[in-house]
Amino acid sequence: MSAFLEVQAIKKQWAHTVTVGPITLDIARGEIVALLGPSGSGKTTMLRLLAGFETPDGGRIVVEGEDVTSMPPARRRFGMVFQHYALFPHLDVGENVAFGLRGHADAARKTSEALRLVDLAGFERRKVQELSGGQQQRVALARALAPEPRVLLLDEPLSNLDPALRERTRRELRQLIKRVAITTVFVTHEQEEAFELGDRVAVLNAGRLEQAGAPDELYERPASLFVATFVGRANVFRGAAAHALAGDADLVVVRPERLRFAPAGLPGVVRERRYTGAAAFFLVETDGGERCEVLAEPDAARVGDRVFVEAERVIRLAENGR
Amino acid sequence: MTRRTAELAGAGLALLLAWLVLFPILVVARDAADGTAVRAFFGRPGEWAALWASVWISLASVALAAAIGVPLAFLFEWFDFPGRKTLGSLVALPVVLPPLVGVIAFLFLYGESGFIARAVQRLFGMSEAPWRLQGPAAILLVHAYSMYVYFYLFTRAGLAKLDVSMLEAAQALGADRWTTLRRVVLPLVRPSLVGAAILTFMTSLGSFSAPYIFGGGFRVMTTQIVATKLNGDLPLAMVETLALAVVAVAGLLLLRRTEGDDILVALGKGIAPRPRPIRRPAIRALATAAGWGFAVLLLLPHLTLALVSLVPYGAWTTEILPPVLSFANYARLFSEAERLRPLLNSLWMSAVSTAIAVVLALVAGWLVVRRRVALRRAIEGLLSLPWALPGTVFAIALAMTFSVHAPPLRWVLVGTVAILPLAYLVRALPLTGRALLAGYRQLDPALEEAAASLGAGQWRTLARVTLPQLRPGLAAGASLAFVAALGDIVASIVLYTYETRPISIEILSSLRLSETGVAAAFGVVLMVVSALVLGIGARR
Repeated sequence: MSAFLEVQAIKKQWAHTVTVGPITLDIARGEIVALLGPSGSGKTTMLRLLAGFETPDGGRIVVEGEDVTSMPPARRRFGMVFQHYALFPHLDVGENVAFGLRGHADAARKTSEALRLVDLAGFERRKVQELSGGQQQRVALARALAPEPRVLLLDEPLSNLDPALRERTRRELRQLIKRVAITTVFVTHEQEEAFELGDRVAVLNAGRLEQAGAPDELYERPASLFVATFVGRANVFRGAAAHALAGDADLVVVRPERLRFAPAGLPGVVRERRYTGAAAFFLVETDGGERCEVLAEPDAARVGDRVFVEAERVIRLAENGR
Repeated sequence: MTRRTAELAGAGLALLLAWLVLFPILVVARDAADGTAVRAFFGRPGEWAALWASVWISLASVALAAAIGVPLAFLFEWFDFPGRKTLGSLVALPVVLPPLVGVIAFLFLYGESGFIARAVQRLFGMSEAPWRLQGPAAILLVHAYSMYVYFYLFTRAGLAKLDVSMLEAAQALGADRWTTLRRVVLPLVRPSLVGAAILTFMTSLGSFSAPYIFGGGFRVMTTQIVATKLNGDLPLAMVETLALAVVAVAGLLLLRRTEGDDILVALGKGIAPRPRPIRRPAIRALATAAGWGFAVLLLLPHLTLALVSLVPYGAWTTEILPPVLSFANYARLFSEAERLRPLLNSLWMSAVSTAIAVVLALVAGWLVVRRRVALRRAIEGLLSLPWALPGTVFAIALAMTFSVHAPPLRWVLVGTVAILPLAYLVRALPLTGRALLAGYRQLDPALEEAAASLGAGQWRTLARVTLPQLRPGLAAGASLAFVAALGDIVASIVLYTYETRPISIEILSSLRLSETGVAAAFGVVLMVVSALVLGIGARR
């Protein structure tokens, strides 16, 4: 299957030292891709390049075989939901949603359809300032979707919601996008959000694409030390400790749930125990002075116990972290 | 629009603004380099006296305005008494009035043939007016009356931004009320006080109508310049203009230095102190009386103006109160074509200059804030330059620059209909410029991006998203500019022709012909139109 949205060696030079890219990424029709990375990793720049708000210094962006690299945002037909929603405060909900529908004969019908899609049927004449944060987010989504864009872009779509609402909204958002079946790219700095919402996650670091893949692929087979440690909890072992756990390797990464207490293995002392209910995290200081986290049954050990740690499954990485 | 086009537009705008506001000043500076005139300026004691008078009158005006405005601000912001809200806004009224209107209202109330002088004369059976409202004291009185508003409004705004927890912290640390005021409150509102002082100083230095009408033999630099120009001694007028400009810039720089570092007024989300009800009955009565007293005192000149406007020509001679009241003056004003013309002139010239100033400020805001063109600092500086120099300086500069035919920079515009709108435009640029730059800075760029991502082109984004968002700032800047142009006298008196004479000139000539009723009627019309325009401009 050929890609629907192709990002080909796209590059943006900010100052002399700060560069984003070159990044290459193919996105299939209807796929949801998360751009995940710490702040300053270039994920927002990537999204703005896709939207057309920034012009790249190299590379191409192609949609359905059409090169849109130098096309202004207004002609791209990419819908965008902004981090703070950017709803027009002088227009009501209906006028906001209808903004992108100018020239459509049945703009009114499309507006109410879009609002029904986000569960806000009948909200047309409400003022945007009167809405709750969650409702504003849905209006922004309805506004972006109403003109039936080719691609939907979301900038930190859930960051402005309170944590309790965030989890529920995340599921609803995914269901809605899948129902509309629109190709979607969104930016987030939260791994959980990227995993739950995205079909595929592209991890960015310092302006470079570290790895793009399905969530379990990133978790189980990270391509670099950065991905291994940024995505999920990770214990990093080098040198002697790595040898003790994995035999031949110099650098290994082990998830806490893949470590366990055993009659023999890497020796150490339990320093802390953090109880989470179903299980507990044990902070173990090895005799070599390294610290690692073991996820085990709550009564598996007590603080001060001498223990041996062994790894069930390790992630081997080259000495340079790749 | 590409980067290149934006830069070209930026350069074009900077050049246009430089031609409008900087080039005339440079022409004056060059023409002032005339040996005889410079020697004359330094040789004559009258010149130095006028310059010194400008400076000390301005400093004294700052002190007087602060002495009235600051306590008044504390009274209205910190204490609660009957009528606080209504009086609080009444007290701010002089800010909406053109200076000339205040000056003639003062003349009718406190002048030697004014209301109060007449009453005193009658009461004591005197054969002459008991006083003459003239000289520096009269000028200072008018200045104090019209400029305390700056201190009042700035201080109230500063006090409203205070965080009540800071005052509570001071008290918890053992500071009494005076220590809190001295060590916490005053340092925190200092930026507001300095802002008000700068505004008062600059306004006072450029003040023309008060010294012109009340000065008598006492000259300040603004009236001196106009007199020299009318006498035809152009080189000397240039030197005087330059001297005034230098004093203005020096004063501005000196006052700016006292501003000090920007203090972070509130670290967290502050809650302003609530006005305290005054409990002790005696003090409560005193505060109420002081509030009402001030309001009446401040409104009295304008009430007098309204009263005088109703007195037909020659009907009021020696009585305390006018014997006949009618709308005859207004009827004449609106029915006689020659009397209506100044009003129409003022309206269209102000409208045209305001419209152009708004368009230039819009373009400037977009280039400076959105496109961040290379010349953005130059554009911003040029836009605010006319604010830093007294109006007389620009009036003389424009008169000199545009009385010579030397294309492409100099054209003969003096004597044509174009010169007054041009002069008003120059004075309007800082007002619309500041309002729209601030508006653009507060505008979330994501709104324009959202419009673009929804398929809106540049023009549709401008019309449907940017302009509606900028509307409050645009309305405020435009209404200030319009009212300033409507009430202008400084530029008008230097540049008007009979055909284009504006209201202010007509008021002066009516006064000269002792047609006080007509002058007052013009004043009332000016006052009402200004208040209406500012009221519309301030609506959200």
